[in-house]
Formats: sequence, C-alpha cells, structure tokens
Amino acid sequence: MSRIEYQVVHETVYTYAWQVTNGQHYARLTPRHTAVQEVLWSALEFLPSPAEISKHRDYYGNHCHIVLIQTPHETLHVTATALVRVEPLVLGEAHCLQAWECALPPSLYTPEPLEVADMRLATAMTPNLNEGLQMARRFFTPQRPWFDAMLDLTRHINTEFAYDPEATQIDTPLSEVFATKRGVCQDFAHLMLSCLRSLELPARYVSGYILNEPPPGEEKLVGGDASHAWVEAWLPEAGWIGFDPTNGKLANAEFITIGWGRDYNDIAPLRGIVLGGGEHDLEVRVTVTRIG
Amino acid sequence: MHSNQQQTQGMQLQTQGMQMQTQGSADAPAPQPLLADYELPPDRYDEMFSAADTPRPHFQPVYAALQQTSAGEMAQRIQSAERQIRDSGITYNVYTDPNGVDRQWELDVLPLAVSASEWRELELGIMQRARLLNAVLADLYGPQKLLQDGLLPTQLVLAHSGFLRNAYGMKVPGNHYLHLYAADLTRSPDGKWWVIADRTQAPSGAGYALENRLIVSRVFPDLFRNMNVRHLAQFFSTLRDSLTFHAPKGDGSPLAVVWTPGPWNETYFEHALLARYLGFPLVEGGDLTVLNNKVWLKTIAGPRRVHAIIRRQDDTFCDPLELRADSSLGCAGLMECVRRGTVLMANAPGAGVLEGGALLGYLPRLCEHLLGESLLLPSIATWWCGEPAAMADALEHAESLAFKPADHASGIEPVFGNDLNPEQLAALKANIELHPERYLAQELVQLSQSPILNSRQHHSLTPRAIGLRVHASMSSNGDYCVMPGGLTRVSSAADARIVAMQRGGSSKDTWVLPDGPEDTQFTLLRSTLTAADLVSSNPMLTSRGAENKYWFGRACERCEDIARMLRVALNAILQESEDGLNSPVFALAANFVLSDDERPLDRRLLDACTLESESLGLAANLRRLSHLAFQLRNRLSLDHWRSITQLLRNPALNKEVTLSEGLAWLDAVLITTTTLSGYALDSMTRTTGFRFLSIGRRLERLGFLTRAMLIACDKGRDSGLTWLLELCDSVITYRSRYMAQPEWLPVMDLVIRDESNPRSLLFQALGVRDYLRKLEADHGDCGAELLEPHIELVRKLDLDSEFHPDSPRLQQVLQDFSDATLAINARLSNQFFSHPRARVQNDRSVT
Repeated sequence: MSRIEYQVVHETVYTYAWQVTNGQHYARLTPRHTAVQEVLWSALEFLPSPAEISKHRDYYGNHCHIVLIQTPHETLHVTATALVRVEPLVLGEAHCLQAWECALPPSLYTPEPLEVADMRLATAMTPNLNEGLQMARRFFTPQRPWFDAMLDLTRHINTEFAYDPEATQIDTPLSEVFATKRGVCQDFAHLMLSCLRSLELPARYVSGYILNEPPPGEEKLVGGDASHAWVEAWLPEAGWIGFDPTNGKLANAEFITIGWGRDYNDIAPLRGIVLGGGEHDLEVRVTVTRIG
Repeated sequence: MHSNQQQTQGMQLQTQGMQMQTQGSADAPAPQPLLADYELPPDRYDEMFSAADTPRPHFQPVYAALQQTSAGEMAQRIQSAERQIRDSGITYNVYTDPNGVDRQWELDVLPLAVSASEWRELELGIMQRARLLNAVLADLYGPQKLLQDGLLPTQLVLAHSGFLRNAYGMKVPGNHYLHLYAADLTRSPDGKWWVIADRTQAPSGAGYALENRLIVSRVFPDLFRNMNVRHLAQFFSTLRDSLTFHAPKGDGSPLAVVWTPGPWNETYFEHALLARYLGFPLVEGGDLTVLNNKVWLKTIAGPRRVHAIIRRQDDTFCDPLELRADSSLGCAGLMECVRRGTVLMANAPGAGVLEGGALLGYLPRLCEHLLGESLLLPSIATWWCGEPAAMADALEHAESLAFKPADHASGIEPVFGNDLNPEQLAALKANIELHPERYLAQELVQLSQSPILNSRQHHSLTPRAIGLRVHASMSSNGDYCVMPGGLTRVSSAADARIVAMQRGGSSKDTWVLPDGPEDTQFTLLRSTLTAADLVSSNPMLTSRGAENKYWFGRACERCEDIARMLRVALNAILQESEDGLNSPVFALAANFVLSDDERPLDRRLLDACTLESESLGLAANLRRLSHLAFQLRNRLSLDHWRSITQLLRNPALNKEVTLSEGLAWLDAVLITTTTLSGYALDSMTRTTGFRFLSIGRRLERLGFLTRAMLIACDKGRDSGLTWLLELCDSVITYRSRYMAQPEWLPVMDLVIRDESNPRSLLFQALGVRDYLRKLEADHGDCGAELLEPHIELVRKLDLDSEFHPDSPRLQQVLQDFSDATLAINARLSNQFFSHPRARVQNDRSVT
C-alpha cells in the first residue's frame, strides 16, 4: 500500500419541525495533521451563514469551531470538505514482537507523556467493567506480543458483536452493549477502550472516516459513506496504532482521522444548542473519494 | 483539656440545680446553673474554658455577659434572633430532607471568639494557602510542569472529575484563578488548628457568616461593641473592588454578577444575600448569553456586557455546548469566553480539581517548590491511596482512619474504619485495592468543642463539636485578604466526628478580637455592619426577573379570582345566593375552569377547587403559583413562602371534597392570596420589578372582569346581579350606597366606571395604563396607548342609554378591553421576556 489522497465531503442536514431563531454549534469536523496524515486543504460551511465563527484547538489539539447562527431557519446545512493525504503504516518487526506488558504504566513518579497517561483512565462512557476486564484477559495473556493480542481483541469484537444501528442510542450504557452484543462503531470503540483501560493500557477514541470501495464493477454510491470511529492504542517507541473493532482490522491508510479524545464526548462531530425548532430530522451524507 | 489540671475524665462541672437565675449583679456573683450540664473531656480542646468555670482570657467578656444576663432576658434575645431568621427567610436547603427543600437556618447566639494573636497566625496561613493553590491551578491549566516533573502523580489530577480539559490554556485575567477560597479548620486537643479541607470550586458560607453577624451583634450589642470585634464589611468591599479591578474592560462600566444555579440549590439564600450585599445582579444561566465571544446579561433594557462572574454554579454545568449537555443551568458559549479571557470567573472553571483532599498530602512539597516557603498551616494527615506505599500503610491501620473519596463525583461515601465490622472492613479493603486512586485515608481528629445555649427554658450551656470555615478573597493589590471571622459550624452532638451543614447541625458567629489599639481605630473608620448596609439598590432587572414577577402577579390574581368565583358558585348551589341556581356564575365557571363532561355540576365545581388533574382549576393554578413563588424566593419572606406551601399540604388538596370542605378550602386559599397581595403592596419597594408584578395582577383582573361582565350581558337583564357584586367584592359598597336589590345601572356603574372602586374595570385599566407609562419612561412604547381609546370610551358611555346588557357599545367596550389585555401581554413578552430555553442536539450517524 502506498500513500493515498482523498477528498472527503461530509454534509449534515437538520430539518426542524418549526423555525429555529438562534443556534450555537460546536463542530469538530476538520481533520487534523497526524504522524501519517497531511491535510492539504479543508473548509467548513454553514447555511444559513453564521453571525460568528470562532476557532480553537482543544486539549488534545483537535480543530474546533464554535458557530453562532442568528438567521431564523428551518433547515441547517453543515458541509465539511477536506483534501487529505494518508501514508500507510510501517511497523518494524521488533515492534510486532514486544510483549504487551511493555505498555503498562511506569511507577507513579516516572513521568510518561501526559497524553499517554490520560488515555489509561476509564471515563463515564468507557467505564471499567468486569466483562471488559475478563474479555481483555482472554487475549492479553502473560508475555504475549502486544500486536497479536490487540489484533485478536479487535477481531473478537468484530465477530462476537453485531452491527445494529437500531440497538443503541448515544446514551446507551456500555454494560448494555456487553449484554446485548449489538451496536455501532462508537459502541465497539468504547467497548474496546474499556477492555484495554481495565488493564491500564493506553488507548484513545478516534473520530474520522473510512473509504468504502464499491464491489467490483459497481459505481461508488455518492453519500453512501458515513463518519466512523475506531481506537488507537499506544505502543512504546512505535506510538499510536489504529485498530478498528467494527471491521475487525488494523486501521491503515484507508482511514482518515478527524481527531481524538478519551471517548465520543471529547470529539463528537457536531453538537448544538438551538432555540425553537421542536423535533428535528437528521440526515448525514459522507462521500470519501480516492483522488490519487 | 490541659494535662496539668487535676480532672478526671468526663467530670461534671459544678452542679447548682436548675433554678432560674434572676437578674445578675456585679458584686454578688450569681450561682452557675449555666454550667450544670457542661463537661470538659480531657481528650478534647474546649474553645471557651481552660478549666472548670475558668474561661480563656479572650472569652472572659462573653462569659461575664452570660452570667449577668437573666434566663428570661436571654430567652427573649434568642427569640428575637429566631424571629430575625424567620423574617429574613434564611434557609439552607437540604437535599435529603424529606420535609421539603427548606430548612430554617440554625444559629446558636453564643459566638466563637478567637484571640488576635491566634487569628494572625491563621490569617497568614490561609493567605499562603490561597497563593499556593492558585499557583497549582496556574500550572495545571498551563505548563503542567508539576505533572511532567513528577511533583504530583498524573493520575491524581487526570482522573479527577474536576480537571476540566476545556479550560486548559484559558487566559485568566491577572493570572488569578482562585478569587474566593475557604478552608475548613479544626482544632486538635493540643490547641493547634489544622486544615481538614480546601474549598476552591465555589466556596459557600461567607454570606451565612455575614447574616449570623447581623443577628448576633444585635443579640449582644454592648458586648459586641465593648469587645471591639472586627467587622466583616471590609472583606466584602475588598471582594467587590477586586473583581472590578481585575476584570477585563470594555463595553460600558464594569458589571459583575452572582451566578446561582437557582432556587433549588442548597445555598440559594446565600447567593441572593451576597448579590444584594455586593450590589451585583443575581443571575441564572438563562439570563446570560454569549455574543461576539463576550458574555452579556439580558436585561429589560437590552444586553449588558458582563465583565466578572461570581460563580456559585459547579463548573461542569457552566456551558451545555461543551460540558454537560444535560445541564439547562448553563450559558452556551461561556467556555470560549473563558478561554479568550473576556470574562473574569471567580473562580476559574476547573478550580474544583483541587477539592477532594488527595492533594493535601502533597502541599508541603508543592509549597516549597512553588513558593519557596514552608507550609504555615498544616493539613490533617491525609494519604492518597493511589500511592502504593500509602495504600498499604492505610489498609494496615484502617481502624484508626477515615476513608473518603478522592473525588466527590465518585459517589463513594466516607466511612470510619473503626465503625466497620470485619466483613465490611474486608469489603472496603477489596474496593480500595481495586481502585486505590479513588480513595484517600485521613487521620481521625478529635474536634474541639464550644458551648451552645441549649434551650430557652434553661439558661445553661451544652458542649458541641465545632469546625470553622474561613474565607479569603483576592484583592486589588494582588494578594489575598482573609475575612476576620467566619462560619463556625456546630455539630448536633458533643462527640461528633464530622461537622457539616448538609448533615444537619447549627452555626455560630465567629468573633475575631482586635490586635490592639490600632485595630480599634481602624474599626472606627469603617462603618459597622448594620441593616442599612444591606440595602443596596439593584437597578439591573433581568428579563427573567421581570417575567417571573409579571407571572407571579398574574398567578396570584388568577388564584384569587378563581377562588372567589368558585365560592360564589358553591354558595349559589347551596341556594345561599339570591341568584340561586340560575346564577350566571355557572356560565362563567364553565368558561374558565370547568371540564366539560357528564358529571353533575356540583361535582365538577368541587373538583375544580381541589383536584390538580383539573388543569384549569384552582388547585392546578395554585401549583403554578407555588412554582413562580419559588423563583422569587429571595424576595419572599419565609412566612409568605410557607403560607403557600402550607396550602399545598392542606389535606383537601387532591381529595374529592364535600361542599362544606370545598368552601373551607376556598376560604383558606383566599386568606393566603389576600396575604400575598397585601405583601406585594406593603413590602415591596417600588422598583421596576414591582411594576411588572403590579401590571401582571391588574392585567389578570382586568381580563377576568371583562369576561365576567360579558357573561352578565349575555345572560341578559333577567338574571340576577348579586353574583357579579360578590365576584367584584363590592357587595358591601353597593349595599351602603343603594340599600336595595342590585339593579343594572348602579351595579354596572360601580363595577365598570367607578374609578374609586378598586375592583372596577376602569380602576384596573387606569392602573395598568399608569404602570405601563412608568415603564415607557425608560423603555419606550410598552402598549399604554392600547388602553387609552377604550378608557376614553368607557368614560363617555351614556349612563341611561348604554348601561344595560343589550347595549352593543357596552359589549364592544368590554370586548375591546379583553382584546387589549391579550395585546399588552404579547407586547410585554416580546419586548422584555424573550429568553426561551435552549435544547441540545447531537448528531449520530455512524458506521
């Protein structure tokens, strides 16, 4: 696999039951640079046009936009566009053979990078659960290579859990996902994080996109892609390596990263506070096109 | 107790029987029933006594005053203090109190005196601690050197729910993260003070201390003056000046506000008091809005830039856009203003990370490192179990330690090791080993004790364990200023191990004695704290405040109108009214409150009285009234608030009542609503807020009267009119004027056109118009002109030709007034009250 260039168009449309007079939105839709990803160009458009836009980087360095819309509207369009170049992952053989214990926390006062220490900790959405600990221990047996154990856990979630968009909501607790064995990418990412963090292994939640190549001979469906979520785990010296429990594989150059955090809450793509509006319909269209 | 005294454990002080003491006299020391029940255990420090009946020198004047005051006089003083507490509505809401959210504030009138030398030490210690904690915050939300260099375990900070990542890198005006700080102190048997907890998020208690001072200084006015007790006023003016000084500038004169989560909060009373005392508006999240990355207050005169916020709101509730999405208490966009430094937050969001106690054990080292000084005021020994060595040690000595959550948000309840049976202890140890970072172990301290006056009848003292909360504020010179006083918290038992208001218990005023003559001179320069100090006008009326008052006025009047109407209707059923069963009041009731079904009329009327399920009925309206009254609680005395809550506890409520029960219930309702009206007229200052309340009342009554009169017209000349007079509370006026059966012309004249009758249509209309005109002086057109033509028309109606039920002009005028009330309501809503509640939306479309 060599480097790939993509165009990503991510459209979100809210249709409200009645007029929204004022809307504030917190968007994390702009991809960031990473060790393997270069953002060549990006744009974020709101319709109706915002009265104000302010930008900042959050605690983890992700791009955030805070947008104020004061034009009364019944439909809100948000379009994020980006051109991104992704390098394939190169893993040395030495890395692949390291025992997983090397990623365990050092002693209390041996400083390690804070971004790593932060990702060892359970959060409200990725609590330490007995089910998670048991599942993690099945794969992380003493002295097993880190890479093998990670990949097995990733595949295990993919085989044992069913993809079912109807099964969960944003606030479905993880214990329920463990019990029903159904959910979507967010749930599976949280589940894997919960397993890893119960062993105090550092891992983070990644928000982004995945390229879905059409079956041979068929044309690619415009808007048929979706935003995606997976996990990156930290291996000393090698750094952060992506695993996608939803698809049961290593996250490589077909994955485009927007940003990361401890869980969904840290990197939710779009969150808003509106006045008025009543019930709303939400439509999201994502098109990831390989351009080079 | 000091070891050199020859006392046996738990010895009783002199017992002199329980006889009442009469007027004390200087030359013949009175006997001491005061100390009949007072014990001085040897393993406890007593604040007042160094030995049996030997007060400590700085407590001597207090003790002498106690001896010289008769039991009767003391009882009077205590009663007067209790009356003040009730009248000013001081409350402390206790979440766990099944009897409702309000508990009257408990105050013991005997102050805790602290000597000048002792205070000086405490003061220096508190100032240093505030500086230290501020420096720790500046590091955690900035360079994070303490974590990188291993001076603080990363987990202690990163796993704490108070570590607010959204606040990282924020620009803090003047680098003052901590503007308000409080330390909870306790005194060990050897007389040393120790810090048991640091309060950095939104420390409460300064306002209660102020209120206690106000009351206690009146209970002992001479003693207070003679002892030259240091005043509290300067602390609050320091805080006020400091916020103004450090706040960012621009967009008009500096405006600071006190941000409360609302009346449900346990310390809401204090928020209201602080706001009033500092002269800052009291606001809720819905009063604030963010525009142009700045915070604005929605007032009836348009948005005003907010430069500083005293935050009594927990930080995770501050901004629903970025933080807790389920919070309706916040202000969306606030965090971005905080990061950009366009608003001063006292305290900075994220300051709560220092609370919980895990930090206590690290403070000596941090103090050396950050300030280059040794820590002056020690914390009680505390070990964070996240450190393996500390955990092992703590588990070994579990019986002699208290175990507490390192983070209040964890839901872990504090326990005392020696309370646990072997199984419980094993379970605790297992939990700690599973999540050591969530626990801390703390040495048990024997709290000091201080006497309280134990009851009205017996003029005697009882020992109680106490703790002291001391407050510090940033000042405009860039260093901290400590309030010379504080909130002394009193436990409900002498041997209590925890003193917390939330667990019940009482409080005391804290008297810090002056440092010598200079200090006396200083206090002469300062104004003493009097009631007049508390009167500070509040010119900034928030949109929400105006709306609450308006709807409170309307709801009060609506309850009264409905109750009166139902009483007239029930009396008609009983055939006690001259109109009998043909009374048009039934048509009015049907129009207003009755549900339309097959049940007999009397049942429907009675259900409208007492069942909340009748959504238009009286009971449902009373419930609405109580919600609105709750919003205005900082303006209502406890007695008024209670009169409403008592109605809602009346056994008739939500019961299917009989006619006589129904009438008794209506009488009870009318007494309450009339009291509330009287309160509004007698007790409220004539501010803009009062105008909104009055407009609400009068508009409601105007609407009610016009509907009643339209019904009267509709029912025609043949139906009786007594009901209308009763409804308008004008029977007596009518009888005294006409001594005859009600007739159309005089009745209509009295209830429509008589400008001297406060229940007449014209009286109400003129009232609404005049109040609107007063508003218009400041705020432009508010709709007074909507009433003007109709007022003129009523005045011009020809008595002989138009004052009969068939007159189309009369009916038209009534209809016009009715329409005008709706139009004015809409005008006021658009102009002043527009602050709809926002909702949070998320997207979720994923693979």
